[in-house]
Amino acid sequence: MAQSTLVRIVLLNPSPGAPARAGGSESPAVASLARLGAEVGIEAVHTASEAGAHALGHEVDLIVADTGVAAAEVEALLERMRDEGPPVVVVMDADDPEAALDWFRRGASDCVAAGAASEALPAAALDLIRRHRTNRERQTAERRIASLRRYTKNIIQNIHSALLVVDGACRITYANSTAEELLGEPPGSLLGQEATRFFAGEAAADQPLLRTLEKGERFRGAEAWVARADGERVPVAIFCGPMRDDAGQELGAVAILQDQSETRRLQRQLFQSEKMASIGQLAAGVAHEINNPAGFIDANLFQMEEYVADLRRLWRRARALESAARSALEAGPTGAEALRTELAALRAEADEVDADFVLEDLGKAIRESREGSERIRHIVQDLRTFARPDARERVWADVNQCVDSTANIVWSLMKHAVELEKDYGELPALLSHPGQLKQVFMNLLMNAYQAVAAKVGDSGALGRIRIATAVEGADLVVTIQDEGIGIANDDLARIFDPFFTTREVGTGTGLGLSTAFHLVQAQGGRIEAESREGEGSTFRVVFPQTPPDPSAR
Amino acid sequence: MKPILLIVDDEIRVLSALRRTLRKEGYEILLASSPQEALKFIGDYEINAILSDHKMPGMSGLEVLAEAQRQRPNAARILISGWPEAVEPAELAALDVHALLPKPWDDAELKSELARALR
Repeated sequence: MAQSTLVRIVLLNPSPGAPARAGGSESPAVASLARLGAEVGIEAVHTASEAGAHALGHEVDLIVADTGVAAAEVEALLERMRDEGPPVVVVMDADDPEAALDWFRRGASDCVAAGAASEALPAAALDLIRRHRTNRERQTAERRIASLRRYTKNIIQNIHSALLVVDGACRITYANSTAEELLGEPPGSLLGQEATRFFAGEAAADQPLLRTLEKGERFRGAEAWVARADGERVPVAIFCGPMRDDAGQELGAVAILQDQSETRRLQRQLFQSEKMASIGQLAAGVAHEINNPAGFIDANLFQMEEYVADLRRLWRRARALESAARSALEAGPTGAEALRTELAALRAEADEVDADFVLEDLGKAIRESREGSERIRHIVQDLRTFARPDARERVWADVNQCVDSTANIVWSLMKHAVELEKDYGELPALLSHPGQLKQVFMNLLMNAYQAVAAKVGDSGALGRIRIATAVEGADLVVTIQDEGIGIANDDLARIFDPFFTTREVGTGTGLGLSTAFHLVQAQGGRIEAESREGEGSTFRVVFPQTPPDPSAR
Repeated sequence: MKPILLIVDDEIRVLSALRRTLRKEGYEILLASSPQEALKFIGDYEINAILSDHKMPGMSGLEVLAEAQRQRPNAARILISGWPEAVEPAELAALDVHALLPKPWDDAELKSELARALR
């Protein structure tokens, strides 16, 4: 059939070898169909199976069974076309309602008498073709819709993120299978449940979904905890926003939850190794800080041992004097001589050991040593709180205490080059991970120290580092400002990139600032950096204040 | 005349313990709690030995010993440090430092090193 053919008709025709549109000798059916127009293509076939093969293989609009075709062939054709395929028009030899009814029963779409064919056939053909086409288009559309639906469903079901849709009352109206797995619920059971119960423990005001529903807020990767039915708690990143229909009417909210367990684990590993690296750098300072008191305590103990030996010698003299005095009392005046001798010996011994000094210095040595052991205890305590892994959940932290104990740890390392200024303001408690906060401050302080050390070098001068904390509006701000070498403008944009370092290989991991940046970001804060090359840098760690919430206390 | 020993450490408790330890060793002991104070003593006194801490604010012990070597070349030089591993042996050699002692120190070793240095 020609490419331009719009309507395709298969003609089941008894005369073998005759071309379909050969001229006047044709059957009236062919002649009348030809009048439908040039865009009608007629394919003549001679058996039912040929017609069927054609109709099912091509986009055929109509089959016409002409007169003269054996009734058995027409029946076979109708049988074949019964459930699918194009409509079949049977051209009968004569107008015979009985026969027509029979053909209709067998599945014919229309019957036309040969005599009336020139009038009736084209009209019937057109009508049938129109209906068939409409039908075919609808089926195609339905198939495509069903396939699209399956496709979308597959996408939604197979994405590695949990998808939840909730209505205005925060009841779940849709959940994909990842959501069911994440929340630990059997398939299909999430529908109609209150989504808030899966965020239990979180203060209501903090639940992103509720904030989306109530205030229209959008979240991109906010940190949250999912409380599963089995009691397990899973860290998730939540992305959510309001869902509106085409008219802008609020329907609820759409949320995507991503399981962060693995990410968190890797992060913890990275932070731990970064922490170990900083601890390595600290070892020198800490060794120094502990060895000083250890040194003088040790020397003092040694000396105190000698003092005790001195005092023991004195005590022996005192005992001798005691017994001499006793004898003198019994012997009367003759005992006085022995008493005088012992008195002189005690005096001489006391002078020799420098008893007054020994007694005074013994007290001093004990006090100084106790002070030293107290210092060691403090250092170890600071180190321990620093090295201790944080609880998985946030706790109320005193930011001033975090920054101060960190400053104490690094102080011994930097004191030869640094003048430290502290200006702590009154701060409310912050819901956070104190160990991570300390690591952030440690990394920033080490960075400041290295910038200062690079500037003062061996000059003997001291560079200033200023630590300030303050509440600024709704934020809690820790500023660490140094008078170091500063950062070149080109480098400033990259300082938070992992492994970016301007220092020599081997002097830093290049992870300090990037770790600090991510730790702060993960806790909902940010770090701002400002610098002038040659003059120094200012890092501001900004946390939004935790809203006071009685249920979390 | 007693030999003059200058002890330098920014940690006064260490100075106190060192003086205590060396009380009976027969030295005239000067205590300096900062490199600046030490430099003043070096200028003012004919010291026979200097025992200095290494890590101090503003100036290292090696720098103090270098200054002592310049002004009092005959004074014995001993460095004491909480982290002796970090001290460059080449620098010790360059300054002809008599001994490098660790903190915590051994009292007997300290006394014998001082006695040898002053011999």
